[in-house]
Amino acid sequence: MARTDSWENLVKGVINGDVRLMARLITVVENRQPGWQEAMKRLYPESGSATVIGITGSPGAGKSSLTASIALKLAEKNLKVGIIAVDPSSPFSGGAILGDRLRMQKLFTCEQIFIRSMATRGMLGGLCHAARDSARILDVFGKEIIIIETVGVGQDEVDIVKTADQVMVVCVPGQGDSVQAIKAGIMEIADLFVVNKADKPGADEVVADIQSMLELSVEADQSIPSVIKTSVVNNQGIDELVEQLLQARQKGFLSREKESLRIRAEMKTLLEEEIFRTVSRVWQDNEILEQLVMEIRERKNDPYSAVQAMMQVYKSDKN
Amino acid sequence: MTNDKIRRIQQQQQSWQENTLDKRVEKYQLPESPTRFYTPLDIKDHDFSKKVGFPGEYPYTSGNNPFDFWKAFADGAAKSDYRPDWGGAGGVGKYGGFGTAEDYRDYLIRMHGMGRRGGPNMAFDLATQCGFDSDSLYAEGEVGRVGVAIDSFRDFATIYEPYTGDLEIDKVPSNFTINAPAAIIIAMYATLAEKRGIALHLLRGTPQNDILKEFIARGTYIFPPGPSLRLFRDTCVFCTRHLPNLNINSMGGYHIREAGATQVQDLAFSMANAAAYLQAGIDGGLEVDQFAPRFTFNAFGGSMEFYKEIALQRAARRIYARMLKEEFGAQHPKSMMIRQPITAHIGCSSTTLQRPLNNLARSVIGGMAAGMSGGMPGAYPPYDEPLGLGHSQEAVQLQIDATRVMIYEAKIADVNDPWAGSYFMESLTDETEEQVLAELNKIDSMGGAVAAIENGYMQQTIARSAYERQKRVERQQDFVVGVNCFTGDKEMSIDINRQVEATYDPELMKTAETRQKQKLETLRRERDGKTVVSLLSTLKSHAKDPDRNLMPDFCDCVKNNVTLQEICDVLRDLFGEYQQVK
Amino acid sequence: MNQQERIRVLIAKPGLDGHERGARVVAYGLRDLGFEVIYTGLRQTTAQIVQAAIQEDVDVIGLSILSGAHLTLTENVIKGLKENQAEDILVIAGGIIPEEDKPAMQQMGVHAVFTAGSSIEEIADFIKSTKGESADD
Repeated sequence: MARTDSWENLVKGVINGDVRLMARLITVVENRQPGWQEAMKRLYPESGSATVIGITGSPGAGKSSLTASIALKLAEKNLKVGIIAVDPSSPFSGGAILGDRLRMQKLFTCEQIFIRSMATRGMLGGLCHAARDSARILDVFGKEIIIIETVGVGQDEVDIVKTADQVMVVCVPGQGDSVQAIKAGIMEIADLFVVNKADKPGADEVVADIQSMLELSVEADQSIPSVIKTSVVNNQGIDELVEQLLQARQKGFLSREKESLRIRAEMKTLLEEEIFRTVSRVWQDNEILEQLVMEIRERKNDPYSAVQAMMQVYKSDKN
Repeated sequence: MTNDKIRRIQQQQQSWQENTLDKRVEKYQLPESPTRFYTPLDIKDHDFSKKVGFPGEYPYTSGNNPFDFWKAFADGAAKSDYRPDWGGAGGVGKYGGFGTAEDYRDYLIRMHGMGRRGGPNMAFDLATQCGFDSDSLYAEGEVGRVGVAIDSFRDFATIYEPYTGDLEIDKVPSNFTINAPAAIIIAMYATLAEKRGIALHLLRGTPQNDILKEFIARGTYIFPPGPSLRLFRDTCVFCTRHLPNLNINSMGGYHIREAGATQVQDLAFSMANAAAYLQAGIDGGLEVDQFAPRFTFNAFGGSMEFYKEIALQRAARRIYARMLKEEFGAQHPKSMMIRQPITAHIGCSSTTLQRPLNNLARSVIGGMAAGMSGGMPGAYPPYDEPLGLGHSQEAVQLQIDATRVMIYEAKIADVNDPWAGSYFMESLTDETEEQVLAELNKIDSMGGAVAAIENGYMQQTIARSAYERQKRVERQQDFVVGVNCFTGDKEMSIDINRQVEATYDPELMKTAETRQKQKLETLRRERDGKTVVSLLSTLKSHAKDPDRNLMPDFCDCVKNNVTLQEICDVLRDLFGEYQQVK
Repeated sequence: MNQQERIRVLIAKPGLDGHERGARVVAYGLRDLGFEVIYTGLRQTTAQIVQAAIQEDVDVIGLSILSGAHLTLTENVIKGLKENQAEDILVIAGGIIPEEDKPAMQQMGVHAVFTAGSSIEEIADFIKSTKGESADD
């Protein structure tokens, strides 16, 4: 299991369309292994042509199946599709079961579709970067449409879909007040609402709920996002949905202003990540930590000064 | 019981606890007593007539019959060297099937030559079970492996070539272990009878036809649960009207348990499935007593927990009888009975690969539980079950002899429901029933079995139970001899000798896939393609009407050599394919 | 190892065998021991398994087979990995695999076979130690 490929090699692989090396680079970047920043720096100028669609919604909304249907339709139109499917990590062990492929079996025979499962890993904002960076890698690799699918329950996951060009929120009938269940912050950034499993009773009520909520929340100068009913089982509404996504892709999603905002946001989160990682490094240094804890226990020191002292270490670490 | 008596026992119990039990617990410095003792207090309101009743009478807690039919022949069987696995003309032969239809047919002819008679008891390969022809991409490596490959009616008819004369299909029954495409196999059976000029009502046998449990365990589904149940309805109505002597299904908790379910889940899920099938028959326009007597089961159970498995059988009979009578309004006694070939057993997942001869001891305990819960005290499975596919002749001999020892020497089955009236067993039976009913209510509130499968509840529940069990074993909270305890140097491994009967020539196996594909190619070339296309399009239009019974269409299709997958593909297009839940 | 790194395991059921208990139990168990487990569900062709392993960049493939088709199916997976220069992915197998087939499985490149009675910890330890070893190469 000699995983010794240099980042240069992996980047070359991505540009030359080598799936295996590309998949490896995703791992390196996800793990923040040595060379990841260099690789991303090298890839950044080549990126920017793909459209990233973020799909979120409550558990059990049928996101994976819907994602699979959309991807299949896009592939039929000869578009190259990448999927990043996110599932939560166990807060106890840090492990995860990533089962989205289970619902996407129809895609496996489709060469143009690349699927990557990703766990949230519980890092502060970590997933957000990993997903965005992976999307960027897929972009340079030649994927034209990249779908990031995630459970809309954690803040991390909300942050991921925020990095998408087009945000789609999936609701279903029969989950009680499913509109209420949507994480705050998502409603405002959604470009499109989908009421999935529309073959089940109650779909129209959910559509009405969403519409009335939108009328309240959308500001006057904004256009009201559309609400589409779909049913994967009956292949209903998928064509319309894909048409909408493609139209939006043609128009181009982002104003210059919006794009600048997003770059700022990305820089801010990257900076946070850097700081967090450095702090973690200091935190892991047991000797210093042990020393400080002992001092505090003996009331020779206090946690406030100790943290300031640790910041000193952080600063010198940076130099 | 009078209040006086109760009070006396209560006082006695209290004094026993203080003077005897607690002292002993203290002596050994235990947090609590490692055993329990039951008294009349545990079944204070026990009403024998209502809860137990007499064997062969409602609610069947103490058994379906005053004695089972085999008891009537037991002495005769001993005197005549009867061998159950050899099959008599009245029953089915050994469960089996492999390779092409020709391979399996030749095997059956060989068996007949050796005097092993009885109807075909067919295992199908996985491609057939999942609705794929042998030339499908999905059949890779699977053709003829775990059963015989059936692509078309021609294959089916080939197997029956030796079944003529005194083995004609109106004289011997057939078993088909098939679920998702059961309707098509039943259509083949009916077609065979028609071609041979045999009246359909003379056909006997049992198709498994229990598709709902395939979503929960085993996994040989094709369509989503809803349309699958519709196909069940079609078979149920068709069999009731035309093949009234064929059992309609063989439902089971066994597979669900093997997949990891607890006792309670095993029974509750099977009961929920049974209720869905019953409703399907009623929705098809039948009266419950017209068809419920033709429902069968294939054994709940599957653990080493002796007492609990006995209680489970007793509770199962009572729950089913009450459900049929009270909820479905059945009146016919046979409608209310759980008809199953065996009752309690340990299940294959209780056997261990380590020190495998121990499995014989295990299976005897299962057999004792069966004999004490209304069934034949049968040792099951053969001890070499976990060693690989196929039982050795030695293991089968030991299994059969163990059963005989239980019947003839230990006389286990000479008393009906020997635990009836036991403070402990009655209370355990009540407790099991209570828990099963609670679980059933939960499933009902989701909308029944189909809903609880669609939303993944049943599948996720048993997967979690399986994992819990694994963790208990790994943490030594549950003990398995020779696996997680008593494994040290002091133990000795016992050498075993295994002669696995060569039922199938490995050379034939190697070529089975190729030969089967060639046959399929010939079939496609020879048959009338126009008819095939037109039958499939008729099937499609008929299938769009959810109220329409598709059995006549299946019969027309198989008669004209439409393949199994071709039929399934039309339905796949219309019904969709089942997608697993996470 | 970087704190963020996780061992990724693909648990796959090749062929039509629908006995899922073992696969699911191992998936749960490895998750609880900190692994990231990609579970692909039933009815995978060997080509699909290879493709998934590459896309997911897993360290290990665990094949669960109880249908008796283990020799053909495993061989095809390993062949597929070689064709894609992915033979560095560790392949382990479980299910009903007769003792007499184990040497053949090992010869074709299966690193370990875990049958009934194996503990999840055993499997996890094997993966960790084997992965650790080869990382030192």
